[in-house]
Amino acid sequence: MNPLAITGLGAACSLGVGSHAFVFDRLRHVAEQGLERATASTTRATGDHTAPRTSFDASRYPGARIREVPEFDPAQTLGDKGLRTLDRLTKLLLVAARNCLHDANIKSPEGWQSFGPDDVGVVCSNAYGSLEAITELDRVAQLEDARYINPAKFPNTVSNSASGYVSIWEDLRALNMSVSDGTCGSLDAVSCADIALATDRASAVLCGGGEAMSEALFIAFEKLGVFRAFDAVAPLGEGAAFMALEDAASAKARGATMLGHIVGYGTAFASEDANHMFFGSERALERAITLALTDANMHAAEIDLVVSSLSGMPTFDDRELAAVERVQGLRAPIVAPKRIFGETLGAGGALAMAATLAWLNGVPVAADLVARASSGAPENGGSIARGSIRRVLVTTLGFYGNASALVVAAPDLAR
Amino acid sequence: MRVLITGIGVVSSVGLGKDAFFAALTEGKSGISPVESFDTEKLGRQYAGEAKGFRPLDHLSVSETRRMGRCSQMALAAARMAMADAKLGPAHYRGPRTSVVLGTTMGEADVLEVLDHQWIHRGTSGVRRALIPKYGATLLPIHIARAIGSEGAVLTLPAACAAGNYAISVASDLIRAGKADVVITGAAEILQELQYCGFVRLAAMATERCQPFDLNRQGLILGEGAGIMIVESEAHAVRRGAPPPLAEVRGYGMTCDAYHITRPHPDAAGSIRAMRQAIDRSLIGPDDIHFVNAHGTGTRHNDAAEAKVMKEVFGDRRVPISSMKSMLGHCMGAASALEAIGCVMTLQTGVYPPTIGYETPDPECDVDVVANHARSGPHDVVLNNSLAFGGYNSVTCLAKPFLFEPIDPAAWRNCRGATPNAATASQSKATTESGAS
Repeated sequence: MNPLAITGLGAACSLGVGSHAFVFDRLRHVAEQGLERATASTTRATGDHTAPRTSFDASRYPGARIREVPEFDPAQTLGDKGLRTLDRLTKLLLVAARNCLHDANIKSPEGWQSFGPDDVGVVCSNAYGSLEAITELDRVAQLEDARYINPAKFPNTVSNSASGYVSIWEDLRALNMSVSDGTCGSLDAVSCADIALATDRASAVLCGGGEAMSEALFIAFEKLGVFRAFDAVAPLGEGAAFMALEDAASAKARGATMLGHIVGYGTAFASEDANHMFFGSERALERAITLALTDANMHAAEIDLVVSSLSGMPTFDDRELAAVERVQGLRAPIVAPKRIFGETLGAGGALAMAATLAWLNGVPVAADLVARASSGAPENGGSIARGSIRRVLVTTLGFYGNASALVVAAPDLAR
Repeated sequence: MRVLITGIGVVSSVGLGKDAFFAALTEGKSGISPVESFDTEKLGRQYAGEAKGFRPLDHLSVSETRRMGRCSQMALAAARMAMADAKLGPAHYRGPRTSVVLGTTMGEADVLEVLDHQWIHRGTSGVRRALIPKYGATLLPIHIARAIGSEGAVLTLPAACAAGNYAISVASDLIRAGKADVVITGAAEILQELQYCGFVRLAAMATERCQPFDLNRQGLILGEGAGIMIVESEAHAVRRGAPPPLAEVRGYGMTCDAYHITRPHPDAAGSIRAMRQAIDRSLIGPDDIHFVNAHGTGTRHNDAAEAKVMKEVFGDRRVPISSMKSMLGHCMGAASALEAIGCVMTLQTGVYPPTIGYETPDPECDVDVVANHARSGPHDVVLNNSLAFGGYNSVTCLAKPFLFEPIDPAAWRNCRGATPNAATASQSKATTESGAS
């Protein structure tokens, strides 16, 4: 792929809501204070079932832990008009998009600063759609009468609705593409954005993903039993993040701030487990990594950090670590950003990218995010020298045999 | 680089398989009938285009059927038909050079419905754990990839009513970008109660008939089905000795209205831009287009907007236009995939499927509707138009194979202009036929 410049970032996540400066600052705080202390101050619900939650009433689930966007108030970013019928997923994405557009100086509160409506597109990952909207309307239909479901909320049940609202709210008229590949979706969205930019369908693309916490999502993972496993490492989470992607040369020409460059992508699938749908494929991830490195024209030994999708599910984590191990020459430390953000599914890759950009820009990596210090070293074994991260491999192991990877370079490195 | 369609598979309310499907469309046979899969008594609407002839076990094993919801079942069944049609053997689809890219609106909505009803009526403890992993739009391509052993990208594009066109477009890009040799693509959707109720509540649903472009049109009728295509590079088709290709995917247009979540922009600016993109990126001109398959939902806003698009793009030239939704119903995510297959069959046969139920012309829709009876005509190039919730506009351009010069990588990458260029079209005509046989 041609290097894609990342010129802006907007996020709504367990750390709060903001642009790249906010995310970088919060991650620096995590590194300085330690994960437990830093996240306790930002995620009030964590570890305390009596604490108020903004996503759903968790009082029926004592001991439940989630990572939600703390005290999420979209009106602070978007104003208080037009929000009444929107679901949480849409609001998360809208807040991330607004922050990203301003961060990239594509728009400001005064209006367009670079490009115009026809030039900017959206590629957005989401894994499970708006369970909140679907279950709410279904409950009305089942317990009252289908004739009473709110037609203004019905569009929220359609999977691409939230992504579509981003274009509507921000007047982005180039393509809008909604992507679903489970936890790999945010990385695959980059591949779709890459083609859109390379074929001149847009001059800039807001690329990322979102997943909203809801009672239905919580129950599903609780029933699957993976939630308890998350307890130790990464609880179920929610969030949204967008990056502004542009052709590197044109981003430079307009004087955009460079946060990093995406230089390689790979994806793969393998159906090696004939008996189970729900499994992680070591082989698929190894191939995705190899494809991404080849795409970036880079050797594994050049990678300084692996930003993984490790989430605390032993069977998946073991396979992800084994896949990285199998890539010859890949000896970089492995970190687990889901310890901060939680398992945010369709938003996972986008939030991993947000953390990646911080670490590529000199923000220290919190020691308690390190799952493997370097090849062969024990878990949580050590710190990573500040400023030493120049090239990052971002990996995602999907739940169904799918896997994707990206190679991201520091702002001053295109290759 | 040419991107060829070498096989197609269909599950629809008017028949299974491409021949039954297109024979029914040509006869103007409607698949719209009273809903059987759920109770519509209180809803004030009773009709839909259900694929009543689809029996999963005719196409899938017992274990496959158990593992997936009805949407994936339809998709896999149609994929198997398409692979047989393309004579695509295991050596040609196993491994990393084959990808699966599918569109849908709601994916496995029936699975979620069951889970949700268990939760509503029996509480959390009543939710069946084993059902949970069967839910998710992500699963559609995964099930196909698992079944056939493909190891390339698996991607779902939930682009609502334009999802089929989105999938075909992304599939063609994967091939042009050199990331895949074969892509199994298309879309699937099932009729589902909540969705049906939602459209009733939006006051978008007609009573018994869908009458696109008619003055007295009342709205849409929902449908279901799956349309799957085998899309492959010319080089791969030649290498494996594929049967003669059915069609060539030329360019596509993709824009967003950024206007309203359910309604098209009244000026249709985004839709016009998408259609012009599709023509320009195909390196042809508007005069090369012989037939347009309309999105044609039968709603007042949609059909009027589409008529504007036709006027803007083609001027005074009245290009025949028709809506298969008058017979299939609106199959949501699967709509533009099934209709793309209808377009492929038009390229093969020269027959334009009719818009049935067309009785009274609407001055606001002053277009050349293929009214009530199929029509024969020139059939070199067709456009498949689709619009969707979220302001999505997507148009694919399909042509007879090898009629025009291949689209070289430079033209594919750098072709943003939206001004029709007839000179380009004439220059683009291939002087000799070549390629797969």
